Amino acid sequence: MIQNNASKKKNAAASFMPYVWLLPSILLMVIMIIVPIYTVFQISFSEVGRTGKIKGLNGITNYLEVFEEPAFWTTLQNTFVWTIAVVGISTLLGFIIAMVLNQEFAGRKFVRAVVIFPWATALIIQSVIWKYIINADYGSLNVLLRKLGLIDSFVNWTATPQTMFAWECWVGIFVTFPFVTFCILSGLQGIDDSLYEAAAVDGSSFWHKMFRITLPLLRPNLTVSTVLNIIYVFNSFPIIWTISKGAPADQTHTLVTYLYQLSFADGKSGHAAAVSVIGFVILAFCASIYMILSLRREEE
Amino acid sequence: MKKKVLSVLLAAAMTVSALAGCGGGSAEETAPAETTEEAPAESGEEAPAETAGAEPVALDIIISQYGNYTQEWWNQFESDFEAANSNIDLNIEIVSWNDIYTVVNTRISTNEQPDILNISGFADYVADDLLMQATEYTSPELQANFIPSFWESNSIDGTVWALPILASCRALFCNVDLLAEAGIENPPTTWDEVLTACQAIQDTFGDDIVPWGLDISTDEGQAAFSYYSWNFGGGYVDANGDWALNSPENVEAVEFIKTLIDSGYCNSAPFTDTRYPLQDAFSAGTLAMMIGPMNMVAADSTVNYVAADLPGNQVALGVCDQLMVFKDEEAENQEARTAAITAFFDAFYEQETYSDYMVFEGFLPATLDSSEYLAQNAENHIVGGSDVTGSSEYFATFCAVLPNCEFYPMQKAEWMDVRNGVIDVEQQVCTGTIDAQTALDNLQADVAE
Repeated sequence: MIQNNASKKKNAAASFMPYVWLLPSILLMVIMIIVPIYTVFQISFSEVGRTGKIKGLNGITNYLEVFEEPAFWTTLQNTFVWTIAVVGISTLLGFIIAMVLNQEFAGRKFVRAVVIFPWATALIIQSVIWKYIINADYGSLNVLLRKLGLIDSFVNWTATPQTMFAWECWVGIFVTFPFVTFCILSGLQGIDDSLYEAAAVDGSSFWHKMFRITLPLLRPNLTVSTVLNIIYVFNSFPIIWTISKGAPADQTHTLVTYLYQLSFADGKSGHAAAVSVIGFVILAFCASIYMILSLRREEE
Repeated sequence: MKKKVLSVLLAAAMTVSALAGCGGGSAEETAPAETTEEAPAESGEEAPAETAGAEPVALDIIISQYGNYTQEWWNQFESDFEAANSNIDLNIEIVSWNDIYTVVNTRISTNEQPDILNISGFADYVADDLLMQATEYTSPELQANFIPSFWESNSIDGTVWALPILASCRALFCNVDLLAEAGIENPPTTWDEVLTACQAIQDTFGDDIVPWGLDISTDEGQAAFSYYSWNFGGGYVDANGDWALNSPENVEAVEFIKTLIDSGYCNSAPFTDTRYPLQDAFSAGTLAMMIGPMNMVAADSTVNYVAADLPGNQVALGVCDQLMVFKDEEAENQEARTAAITAFFDAFYEQETYSDYMVFEGFLPATLDSSEYLAQNAENHIVGGSDVTGSSEYFATFCAVLPNCEFYPMQKAEWMDVRNGVIDVEQQVCTGTIDAQTALDNLQADVAE
């Protein structure tokens, strides 16, 4: 009986122990994540002075004022264009490059090492370098093209908000595709060659093998890279802030740079918090769709 | 199961990350007054002021970082001051311009504001009833010693809320050699002459030289609006001090900026180019003309240049940062605290000490006695980070310009909205999304609301 009690106590302690080990992480999460989230929600419903002084709750006034700003709607549109363009094109590009890198050719290891560079370099450095490359007055792109005789006079690559934003999307793609490449490449290396050999014996075409073998087996890799990229690109700050700071006339902002400007340049912390919450809701919606689809597939 | 866990983790990461980057704080980053570069210091002068009473007092002070050696000068000042005022403990913190608004706002939101703050702009603090009136802690002698226009520029409805710490002014910088090669003998004095000179430079040098430097970025686009609007006869306010943003002169000024861009006379990215790369380009000899601060040309530049009056009405932009004192309702002995603050300012603005700081940082003084003194004795002081002495000629020239400078209407509560608004107007008009008259009418209506 005594032994039984001791054993029960031991079991209870053993089942309790994981929570003890998890406690520091849980505490950290509460302090670093839950408290800031609560604070942002609270600020979004508060009147905040330019000095940072919270003057009390003001309901949904911040949200209404944000919705009245044309810049907000342009920003929202940009955010979707930015996320879809960067994630979509870098996924396609990364997939193609991964297929190439999965083939045997001389210098493959070297090329694989080079491809990782854009992703491994700090975003801020990439952004500054690209800003200088495309500068019309002294940028290396114009100088190079003129030396090659392709242009007579310097081209202003960022003359309009649209071209400026397109360049920013390109930089986003350039720094994102290596991650996709290596996600896909790791998946490709896990596919058994015998599957392709069997398909070849059956007379399958390249596209048939692609859609019946490669893509289905790469689905987990594509899912992880796409979801992580959506989160990462949606919240990406350095590229746009370094290259344009949302200029001209707030035409090249995404939600993250816009809320940063509202908070740290315009002194409108209440509005910034409202924009932050809106971004939160959008991502929560996307995450919910992903969770529903993912769990449904698992049930099937 | 693994998939389920992964789904939940990814979803959580996705939603939580949406809130990243908006934890708190707030505020702005008005362009600081122009900074100097360079190095070491010698230091503050002899110990200032007298002891301010027996009660021990500690003062928390935040000073903006004007150069790489600001900390050194203030360290010396602190030790000299504390030696002369044994009952006063100064805690001086130097904060960079990039962070200062966030630092100060965070402190205010946690009720830990400093006693004395050096920053640009004070109206927001007045609006939140955080500041003491300047006359409460400034001795009558010191009040009389400030250049009157500077002292008054810190007043709202007749009440002065801050002290001018330093000033600088802007001039038109011209590369004499480039202008001469293009057939232009003198710096342009009218806006038509600016266009003529730009065309001549473009014809002579093509893509190799940018004729005119323009910064209408979010960093300092309000400075550009000031240069052009004031010198076309307009400005921010009318004779009564009311906002007059949509005046015909302002419309003409904004349209002129658009002309500069459309004609290809200025740098290609005026929406994002701040004045710093433009200053570098001017110092390197690849930019022919730009309006900039008096200390903008790099020390090692070999460019042969002149600093001329701005074209048009020849009104220069003056930039003046402030020192202000926060209320501290919890201070046990208000009288001793105020006396300590008075002692601090008397020591800082003492002619030798203050003049030394001006030479050290490369700015212009806001006091009468130092203006007079530095016009003849700047060589007695050393520029921060070098062995170079100050130049009396430099101070004599620019101090003489200061009284004619116009300043931003920072004392008006709507200033930050106007500042951001005029930048938006410039950028909208210059990208062709709206005409100048409509854009300025809209801004005027917004501000008047």
